[in-house]
Amino acid sequence: MTAETLVAATARPRRAPTGRLLASELRWMLRRPRTLIGLGLLALVPVLAGIGLSIATGDGSGPAGEGLAAIIGGNGLLLPIFVLFLSLPLLLPLLSAVWAADGLAGETANGTLRGLLVAPVGRARLLAVKAFGVAALSFVAVVVVTVVGLITGLITLGGGGMISLSGTTLSLGDSLARIGLVMLLVTFQTWAVGAVALAISACTEHPLVVVSSVLAGLITFQVFSLFSALDWLQPFLLTSAWDPLANVISDPIPWQPLWESTGLAACYLLIGLSLALWRVTTKDS
Amino acid sequence: MTTSTSARAGVGPARAGSTPAPALAARTRGLRKTYGSTVAVDNVDLDLPEGAVLGMLGPNGSGKTTTIRMLLGLVRPTRGEVELLGHALPDGAGHALPHVGALVEGPGFHPFLSGRENLRRAAAFEPLLASGSIRGAVEDALERVGLSPAAHRRYRGYSLGMKQRLGLASALLVPRRLIVLDEPTNGLDPAGTREIRRVIAELHAAGSTVLVSSHLLSEIEATCTHVAVLHRGTVVAQGELAELLRSGSQALMITTPDVEEGLNVLRASRISARPAEDGLRVELTGTSAPDVLRALVGAGVAVHEATRPHTGLEDLFARLTEDDGPDRGAEIDVAFEAEEELR
Ligand SMILES: Nc1ncnc2c1ncn2[C@@H]1O[C@H](COP(=O)(O)OP(=O)(O)OP(=O)(O)O)[C@@H](O)[C@H]1O
Ligand SMILES: [Mg+2]
Repeated sequence: MTAETLVAATARPRRAPTGRLLASELRWMLRRPRTLIGLGLLALVPVLAGIGLSIATGDGSGPAGEGLAAIIGGNGLLLPIFVLFLSLPLLLPLLSAVWAADGLAGETANGTLRGLLVAPVGRARLLAVKAFGVAALSFVAVVVVTVVGLITGLITLGGGGMISLSGTTLSLGDSLARIGLVMLLVTFQTWAVGAVALAISACTEHPLVVVSSVLAGLITFQVFSLFSALDWLQPFLLTSAWDPLANVISDPIPWQPLWESTGLAACYLLIGLSLALWRVTTKDS
Repeated sequence: MTTSTSARAGVGPARAGSTPAPALAARTRGLRKTYGSTVAVDNVDLDLPEGAVLGMLGPNGSGKTTTIRMLLGLVRPTRGEVELLGHALPDGAGHALPHVGALVEGPGFHPFLSGRENLRRAAAFEPLLASGSIRGAVEDALERVGLSPAAHRRYRGYSLGMKQRLGLASALLVPRRLIVLDEPTNGLDPAGTREIRRVIAELHAAGSTVLVSSHLLSEIEATCTHVAVLHRGTVVAQGELAELLRSGSQALMITTPDVEEGLNVLRASRISARPAEDGLRVELTGTSAPDVLRALVGAGVAVHEATRPHTGLEDLFARLTEDDGPDRGAEIDVAFEAEEELR
């Protein structure tokens, strides 16, 4: 028995396998009615956009708008990119905020977080599991938009090579690669919002506070970018990192603005996760 | 005997039954927790011997839940130290907590999942459960709390008692060395209360240590070997239940037909007494039972029977926690001193 006690004291503590925790977290998130409803509504966006655009451009009345919309007629491969950019300012951040809110604040309010901590799962590990859940579902959301967008685009707007913003026509492979690139860039930006949302989520037990804070933040950032007096603030606003992403469909790709956008998102991600970690490890539950 | 020992061996070091000073499953020293200017818990030195069933008593807001939370590492003490199953918290939490099952502040589950799915989720986070045995462990736990028939239903639709049972089930997922139950009988019907009593008895028989807080004194009296009474955030009494009850009794009941004479004799000896049913009730402050009897018998009073009345936990609890002064109680005997002062 002494030997056993000694071993217990010196050995690393037993921990539940990480894969099992992550799988359990994903299963739990995907079982939530609101997750499924959110993803379902998100899938409607490309469908509606595709139908709308095909009506607007179908009768040969000219371009449907400026920028991307101007070149999207008969350019079905562009629809997923168009819809991703459409979802980035509001829908995707909102969804990731909801997931982050349910992950910590919601579980605290439910009394379930206590159970997990006593199991025990270390606090840092718990945050890692939660961050993984938010990140994975954000990526799932992006995939849903892209896939539905691609299918809708090909059906309603027709296939054919992708026409770039610069007017050149891209090969199918090149087009798909750019769709993939936009997916990654948009996912990363969503993660940045999700990390900040997790930090807020760690500070409250009201999920609604998290979602409304993120919403308020997004709106405030967008309002700030309207005033030229606040131009000096631009480089620090996450929302201002989102417009330059459209450069992906220029030919050739100007990498500089893409790197800058991603770098800014990385800062938000790092700060958000650090704050969340600090709060999760120090707070009483 | 041998079988129960070997069954426990798989869970961890068994209770040291033969050693004179039993090992402690949990131990706190100088524990204090403040929320702003509210002192929730102050100077709590709690000893939970291994293998004991400790009942934690105290009025609302006396700090039971806060103490339990600090024991489980959920709340960081403002001051003081906690040792759980031989590991100092918070650093040793990873070693100690897998062996601890807890139901704190009511059950917490997700309303949109069924009882079974909720338990599976909880089980996934249990370090001691192998992935392959999760299903079986969940079914066993459901069976044990009598929830199997309702396991497929959503938690949303559970009654208060069913929720409580599910909470208990999650504490029982793994064979535990220590089970902590904060008001487990809350919302249970009499049958449910009896079942909790049975589960506690089973755990005790299997060698687990149990810490249970409750407002039902009769439950505590029926199930616990030890008690700790909290009042205003401090422990005012703790120890073995039988011991506490014995020391709490300070009267002697004398059955005699010669009530008047007996009273006179005792008054002459400066012993306080009053008539009671079938005889006299003598207060044993400043005297002892033999002295009282000697005085009575010596004076020719017919003593048919002399008994120490059994102090119920109810009386003890009432005396320890009634609010008659801000400075009542650091330890058990203070309550008795206070009673002397009253006289
Ligand atoms: N998170 C908190 N913030 C502020 N005060 C708190 C907090 N938790 C507990 N308290 C205070 O600490 C004191 C002890 O509370 P605790 O919940 O431990 O009591 P309890 O003995 O469990 O009571 P009950 O029998 O009602 O469950 C109370 O005065 C309570 O108001
Ligand atoms: Mg309580």
